[in-house]
Amino acid sequence: MVYGCNAGQEKKAVVFAVGGAPGEVMVWEEVARAFTDESGIPMRILRQPTDTAQRRQGLLVALGSAQRDPDVFLMDIAWLGLFAAGGWLAPLGDVALEPFFIETVRQADIVDGQLIALPFSLDVGIVYYRTDLLTEPVPRTWQALAAAAARAQTRIQPHTPGFYGFVWQGAQYEGLVVNFLDFAGSQGGFLVAGDRILVDSPHNVAALAMMVDFIHTQAISPPNTYTEMKEEEVRRHYQGGDALFARNWPYAYPLHAAEGSPVRGKTGVMPLPAPENGSPAATLGGWHVGVSAFSDARAEAIQFALYLTSRPVQKLLALKLGLPPGRRELYTDEDILEKYPHYELLAEILRSARSRPILPNYTLISEIMQRRLSGALARDYSPAQALAMAQQEIDRMMARTRRDPPGSRPR
Amino acid sequence: MNERQVKKLLVYLGAAATLLFCLGPFVYMLLTGLATEPDFLRPAKAFIPTWDHYHSVLFSETVHFVRYLINSIAISGISAVVSVFIAALGAYALTRLNIPGGRPILLIVLGISMFPPVSLISYLYKLMSALGWMNTYPALILPYIAWTLPLSLWIMVSYLEQVPQELDKAGLVDGCSRLKILVRIILPVAAPGLFATLLLAFIYAFNEFLIALMLTTDQAARTIPVGIALFEGLHGQVAWGEIMAAATVTTIPVVLLTLLFQRRIIQGLTRGAVKA
Amino acid sequence: MTRDHRPASDFRQARQPARRPPLTRDQVRGFWFLSPLFGFIGLFILIPVLGTIADSLFRDIVYLPVRFVFLENFRALWADPSFWSAVRFSALFVLVSVPLEVLLGLGIALVLNEPFALRGWVRACILIPWAIPAAVAGRIFQLVYNFSYGAANYLLDLLSISREPLNWLGSDLSAFIAVVVADAWQTTPFAAIILLAGLAAIPEDLYGQAKVDQAGMVARFRHITLPLLKPVLIVTLLFRTIQALRIFDIIFVLTGGGPGGATESLSMLAYRHFAAGDFGYGSAASVVLFLMAVVAAIAYVRVGRFQET
Repeated sequence: MVYGCNAGQEKKAVVFAVGGAPGEVMVWEEVARAFTDESGIPMRILRQPTDTAQRRQGLLVALGSAQRDPDVFLMDIAWLGLFAAGGWLAPLGDVALEPFFIETVRQADIVDGQLIALPFSLDVGIVYYRTDLLTEPVPRTWQALAAAAARAQTRIQPHTPGFYGFVWQGAQYEGLVVNFLDFAGSQGGFLVAGDRILVDSPHNVAALAMMVDFIHTQAISPPNTYTEMKEEEVRRHYQGGDALFARNWPYAYPLHAAEGSPVRGKTGVMPLPAPENGSPAATLGGWHVGVSAFSDARAEAIQFALYLTSRPVQKLLALKLGLPPGRRELYTDEDILEKYPHYELLAEILRSARSRPILPNYTLISEIMQRRLSGALARDYSPAQALAMAQQEIDRMMARTRRDPPGSRPR
Repeated sequence: MNERQVKKLLVYLGAAATLLFCLGPFVYMLLTGLATEPDFLRPAKAFIPTWDHYHSVLFSETVHFVRYLINSIAISGISAVVSVFIAALGAYALTRLNIPGGRPILLIVLGISMFPPVSLISYLYKLMSALGWMNTYPALILPYIAWTLPLSLWIMVSYLEQVPQELDKAGLVDGCSRLKILVRIILPVAAPGLFATLLLAFIYAFNEFLIALMLTTDQAARTIPVGIALFEGLHGQVAWGEIMAAATVTTIPVVLLTLLFQRRIIQGLTRGAVKA
Repeated sequence: MTRDHRPASDFRQARQPARRPPLTRDQVRGFWFLSPLFGFIGLFILIPVLGTIADSLFRDIVYLPVRFVFLENFRALWADPSFWSAVRFSALFVLVSVPLEVLLGLGIALVLNEPFALRGWVRACILIPWAIPAAVAGRIFQLVYNFSYGAANYLLDLLSISREPLNWLGSDLSAFIAVVVADAWQTTPFAAIILLAGLAAIPEDLYGQAKVDQAGMVARFRHITLPLLKPVLIVTLLFRTIQALRIFDIIFVLTGGGPGGATESLSMLAYRHFAAGDFGYGSAASVVLFLMAVVAAIAYVRVGRFQET
């Protein structure tokens, strides 16, 4: 499907693969047109589906078979390891990294000393809460949050049956892994030790036990948390007025605040609480822009990638799409802060946000984690058992999918 | 109550239970597609009918539903026609031309139809990627022809067996070639069977999921079962109303075809199986 | 398809011992007529299956160079608990759903084999679930089992079985039941139709004779219907077993293999690895599934043969 095709014969069109909601694609087309007007480089938009896994699949097909199109595309941060290992990303050359979150770029976009992507938009988990229902100060620890949630629930649930203290993403998908990392805090999560990924740690067991506890023992999270709750289910549950706290992404902010929303004007935003005797660590999400190594218009594609991450374009997209920008400097921009006052808090969280391991087999790691976390939430086995099993399976999988040691000659 | 009455009672109870079982979920689908909110079964909620979901599914370009439907109809239609023609040729050879090992051929083809589709998809994926055909019609049509062939062949054989051999002889006397005899004489006589086979092959291809899931990436070639399975709202919510409206629009034609031609379909389905 | 004749001629050579008389012109033409069939099946089914079997012996991961590892993938599968859980699920699913569906189908077939008003309509209606794509059926049942407003919990409440909503897809057992029920809805009609044809083929006068002999309804079913239906019953069981072994669509949509992988079938496991770019491992899993299907088919053919003699 080709949209906005400016049949430029003299110059090879740059093909930009991008997905997302219908409204978003319209904005993308505007941006592509503006770029063409400015640079004279014709653009084509290759439209991808909304679903993240499907978007990845589409790019995988094109890059895996070394096709010349698309030239430039957006990648979820979780795919970067795979795309880099496949040798599918062209180095972007010397770019001033100062205006970005340098730590993010270092974690995600620089591989073997080469800059192979740039953060286009960043995402990080935050907690929304009802300012009219929270009677105590904003909780700083998960325990305090649970206590506040339980109190509110006892007060409100009798006359509003669907009301729960705290909603979050527990369905078996990538979001579950991110939620788990959010619960685990800075001392838990994926610990990379050499070529081993460590998940079976006391901090992680405690975090998982807390998640199980929230659903089954304290019952401050609904029973369908681990069967149905993804970001939109959480967003709608909270927005319907049926929760005190909701862990979600920043995209929900303008929706909660929209006209007609039952929680409009009653919603506050706070950072993720800390685990007991630990400190919080938000898990970094978001989209990065990269250029195909097989591109037949590489220089032009790189020019477009830089254009997408330039200040005016980032600002425009942030204002129009509500996507938190990749450039740090925009989080202090007056126009943006006026529209999204919570960006000040976001910038603070983003500075210390932690990326998931950037590994080519991250999908396989995540799938193992999703199964075992979900099994623990369904109480098929204990949290300790779940993580012990996940550890064993990850170790085996890592051994099987390890890169050949340098020097060994593949067949 | 004598035995006759007991039996009658059992039959009517059984029929009622069958209807409830088969139609219940189907009606639920219809209702949800027409309901403003999917929670109309909850105590305090009411069923408020609306055409909104149909409107958005049929007229909003961004959900690509119509495109999926067109893809599905075109891909399954082409696959079914080609498959049935190839099966007719094969069935003609097996029933008239005295092929050595005709029965084993039939059994081998039947055996092949039992291969799990998941054991094909990775190879097909690589093949279509190498040819640059990923996410195009041929990527699905070619495997679908092969996929529906065993079924088509079995049914066509069962129909052609019943067409009297004298017709061929008459044709040969008139100097027709074998191909001409098949196309001009035999197939018109076996037209009902041909039609039943076509219908079944179409439905099989239309309902296929795994190959389409693996070989398509977007609306350029994505078929409707995959479209509905992966249907998501603007931000990833499950839009039940739209999903069920889409499901209804998809299934109504197939269901109507099935109801109209139920006799033929049942005949076609059972011929192969009962004979085997 | 310019090379379509190849499989046909290969076939001829393989099939034809030297001392047979040469083929007649009709037979040669017959093989030409069969060649597109062999061509399509060969190119798009047989070669892919052989390719998958070959690939299962390689470390074939999208970001790594391909390397021959012989049985390494199978060894890894053997050590993978999710593989065993998928094997267990697939086996259990066959053992529970196939008999259930064939029994239900037999019940429906027996009812529809009796004359009654509106019989044609009922027979038409049972085709509806069959005609709906399994993926769509999965969606319908996903809503049926929805925790907050699905029909399943509504029924529990209505029939006073449970006031508390049940989280259907949230425990191993109830998710298994949910999958079995959804699959039964979609596939029982197929069993019913085949069995109905089998019933219709039983000559009416056999029953007439039995009635004269004062045999009751149950006795007639046991002594006449069941033995005569046996071949059809076995065919139905075989078809259903093969289909149940490879279940994918409904699970992919309904449970996604959850909770915690409890309802993941072998097909799902293989697909999941293909989608993650791990082709060798996924191929190994599909080879195992393929072998299970072969074993099941052989077992049924054996039983069928045994019954005949």
